Amino acid sequence: MTLLEVRNLTKTFGALMANSEVSFDVERGSIVGLIGPNGAGKTTLFNCVAGLYKPTSGTVTLDGEDITGLPSWKIARLGVARTFQVVRPLKEMTVFENILVGAHMRHRETAKAAEIATRCMELCFLSSYRDHLSGGLTIGNKKRLEVARALATEPKLILLDEAVAGLTSTEVKEMVEVIRRMKDEGITVLMVEHIMEAIMPIADKLVVLNSGVKICEDAPRAVVQNPEVIRAYFGEKYSRRLRTEGKEDDHGCDA
Amino acid sequence: MTKKTTLSDRLWYLFLAAALVLPFIPGGIGNSFHGHVLTMVLLYAAMAQAWNIISGYCGQTSFGHAVFFGIGAYGAAMAVVQFNTLPWYGAPVGAVVAAVTSVLISAPCFKLKGHYFAIATFAIVEIFSRLFMIWDWVGGAIGLDYPILDDGWRNFSWSSDKNGYYLGALALFTLIFGVVRWIESHRMGYYFRAVREGQETAESLGVHSTAVKLSAMALSAGLTALCGAFFAQYNYRVDPPMVMSLDISMKFLLITILGGLGTFWGPLLGAAVLIPLQEYTRAYLSHLGSGVDLIIFGIIIILTMIKQPMGIMGIIRGVTRRTSTVPAKEGDA
Repeated sequence: MTLLEVRNLTKTFGALMANSEVSFDVERGSIVGLIGPNGAGKTTLFNCVAGLYKPTSGTVTLDGEDITGLPSWKIARLGVARTFQVVRPLKEMTVFENILVGAHMRHRETAKAAEIATRCMELCFLSSYRDHLSGGLTIGNKKRLEVARALATEPKLILLDEAVAGLTSTEVKEMVEVIRRMKDEGITVLMVEHIMEAIMPIADKLVVLNSGVKICEDAPRAVVQNPEVIRAYFGEKYSRRLRTEGKEDDHGCDA
Repeated sequence: MTKKTTLSDRLWYLFLAAALVLPFIPGGIGNSFHGHVLTMVLLYAAMAQAWNIISGYCGQTSFGHAVFFGIGAYGAAMAVVQFNTLPWYGAPVGAVVAAVTSVLISAPCFKLKGHYFAIATFAIVEIFSRLFMIWDWVGGAIGLDYPILDDGWRNFSWSSDKNGYYLGALALFTLIFGVVRWIESHRMGYYFRAVREGQETAESLGVHSTAVKLSAMALSAGLTALCGAFFAQYNYRVDPPMVMSLDISMKFLLITILGGLGTFWGPLLGAAVLIPLQEYTRAYLSHLGSGVDLIIFGIIIILTMIKQPMGIMGIIRGVTRRTSTVPAKEGDA
């Protein structure tokens, strides 16, 4: 079953075409990765889905409902939560209060919201920082705070914009664990990511953008072997090396 | 959930109890100058707290609060002077008119962000003050003078023993501080602060930031108008420069900033420092010309801001952090 349907989405800034006729589906309960080189239009696409930008043309459909161009707070209430690539903690508020803002979206009562917030805080390994001002956290904790806060809105779909980039290897493992836990809770994940070690083992499908155009949409295994993707994403040199290595491997197997 | 603010809670009830007992001990308020100063401290603390809702908690700096203060003052005065009825009817009408006016003014102005919003509100004060100057129905430039009324709560007026005014100011203070206390621990309070800390982030969490800002503004303006009504009753007259000037607007700002912007105790602390200063300089230094109090205000605020941008609350927090036996581990591991 399709949860999110992006159809012919185009976004231009003046003469610059950030996204051109991009279409893809996100299946309910799956983890979909959105990858592509820098400037491919991944974040722009995210902002169009989340309502921060109005698409120039095309449609975004959530659960059969057209959400194209709605303001971001409405889209959030319909069940799409997001994190920001450049983290945006509500600085003068504590970790718990940050998450509580998200939890209040579906619960007017602070007691009930606090319950949800506590769970999200635990899920994201943030309990020991509960009363710290969020402005003073390390980048790893700030990134997990982004996720915890988005999660507290109890979304159907969560958009993670480079939630792993810039983290240490331990932090990457923690974040991957957080994403796995979300999937177990039945939340659909659409994530932009550069760190292939993070996305390869967990994604059910990858969508590849290059210069604003979708060039591939397939299972991770197939995507990394797609010659166009290799050229665009890993560069000509790496793709040649990959090819020769592949041949050697084949050779080895034969022997 | 047990909250950590128990000390603040205890201070709050202790303060209210002490303030309530004060007029009943002999020589407490009566008709003394000190009684007048205490009344003014409570009034200005209440005004500053009302302003703190939109500008401190919600982060939208308003220079326009003299307008809402003035509307409230005119509400009470018009009820008494023009309609020959009780100020009790005028005050709530003034509060509603102020709230509606604030929404009408802010709806377009909230499209401006940061300093531009502040500048727009600056202009509003001038517009309203001119408007009231030439509007004969509300007394024009001469203003409205109260007739002689019987003392008591019915007319909210006392000529000899001023205990009533003190208790009235205390009630107003309790109302406004109570409202803010309630807001702080409820969804609205979290939303106010979320909008201040990052509008786009708040919206990504389902917060309709325009609606949140407008409700903060309406609430702030309505409560400010009640303070204005009290001010009219206390002074027995209203005219535009008295209630709708940038001087008044600045006082909301200066008191709160000195005490601590966006903090619960800040407005009271700021008023407790600046208002006695204002009243005593007016009484003893008035031969130096008008505005001496504002000069002293300015110097104190500059000095405080250099040392501690969070005002008196910031200084207090710094001291308690340093002296507490268990140092709070700020920052991060």
